[in-house]
Amino acid sequence: MTSFNVIRWIVWKDFVTELRSRETISSMVFFALIVILIFSFSFSMDQQAAREVIAGIMWVAFAFTGIIGLGKSFSTELQNDCLEALQMVPEAKGAIYLGKVAANFAFMFLVEILLFPMFVILFNLEVVEEISLLLLVFFLATVGLSAIGTLFSALTVQIRAREVMLPILLLPLVVPVMIAAVEATKGALNGDPLAMYEQWLELLVIYDVVFTVVSFWMFEFVMDS
Amino acid sequence: MTIHRVIRKVQRFEGWFGGGAVLCLVAGLYLGLIGSPPDYYQGEVVRIMYIHVPLAHTSLLGYTVLAVGSLWYLWKRDPIVDNMCQAVAALSAVFTALALGTGMIWGKPTWDTWWTWDARLTSFTVLLLILIGYLMLRTFVDDPEKEARYGAILAIVGFVDLPIIHFSVEWWRTLHQPQSISMRGVSISSGLLVPLLFMSVGMSLLFSYMLMVRTQLLYLDRLLHAKKGRLLSQFHLSKFDS
Repeated sequence: MTSFNVIRWIVWKDFVTELRSRETISSMVFFALIVILIFSFSFSMDQQAAREVIAGIMWVAFAFTGIIGLGKSFSTELQNDCLEALQMVPEAKGAIYLGKVAANFAFMFLVEILLFPMFVILFNLEVVEEISLLLLVFFLATVGLSAIGTLFSALTVQIRAREVMLPILLLPLVVPVMIAAVEATKGALNGDPLAMYEQWLELLVIYDVVFTVVSFWMFEFVMDS
Repeated sequence: MTIHRVIRKVQRFEGWFGGGAVLCLVAGLYLGLIGSPPDYYQGEVVRIMYIHVPLAHTSLLGYTVLAVGSLWYLWKRDPIVDNMCQAVAALSAVFTALALGTGMIWGKPTWDTWWTWDARLTSFTVLLLILIGYLMLRTFVDDPEKEARYGAILAIVGFVDLPIIHFSVEWWRTLHQPQSISMRGVSISSGLLVPLLFMSVGMSLLFSYMLMVRTQLLYLDRLLHAKKGRLLSQFHLSKFDS
């Protein structure tokens, strides 16, 4: 089995598990809906106010649901000692990391695509023509979140209080992603010219590259036992 | 184990670090509080700078030591390096919290607010959160080897993240005065600079001294636990024999 096959099999395995149990994606979507509901109670918003804060609400919901998905990504491997089986894969551990990142990215991105229309409807957003730019922002930010999140999902899975420790460790580290994603989403939703929020997209690209490389390297040490 | 010997050798001079720290801090405080003129704009308020700026410098220095130590640990797996990492993380967290606290006290008269989401304040807060997360993570792992390894991974990822956090928050908003001492030269009068340098050196020496003491303490603690474990198992085995 080559490393590429390891990646493919892990993605396939996660998708099949998800198709059979339908646990992760459904819990992510419902959790996000509850977050939206709570936010709409907390701020009584007219359309003008909604335009100002909607990007922030969106990314809070996406980050929280992402953490649910990331937490499940490795905690399901604890059943039947699957984690030890993964550690025994003879190929480089980085292949497991890339497979898990791909699966986590796919779940999170799918949930974001499902949720976006709900934001549009529930907050009476005007549908913008720049939908491709918005998708680019979602894509880049989700790559960053899943790249670093997968590393910490694997790291926290074998410690006590893992459900608490994952967000505590992850959220301070993804501050740049959150700032850049919120600012870029705000720009894309308002239909601002690209030059106004181009720097945030660049920041996202830099973050994605840096943390895919660093996490890929550090993952070897997480799985090492 | 060479690094082990180096650390033990440096630790023999820890008294010099402590003494130097006391001398520098006393000189710096005398010059800063009594010897130096008040600032033209800020008046007497500026004197908190002699505490605030050295604390901030030292906590960043501490985080650098933590990152280097963590890399070294992942490379060599030397337990005493991990003891040093644990010690330096706790000290850095304390220094960062103190830097934030003195900054808030300084901010009240000069910016007329205790807190503002300015770039450097925000990145220091994130730094403090990462350090606290590091310390919490260590308490939640049972196996000491795993504890050291996971801590090192978090420290390295956080260290790579810090400049990115700083730039992102800087683009987001900025109010803080630009650094007075930078690569481009010094933009601060020498009357204020001399006590600041004394305080910076003194604070770094104090930090090193505390680091050595605490590293030794953690090292001995681990040794004690190992000894205790061995004695207990001998005791149980002897009971089992009879």
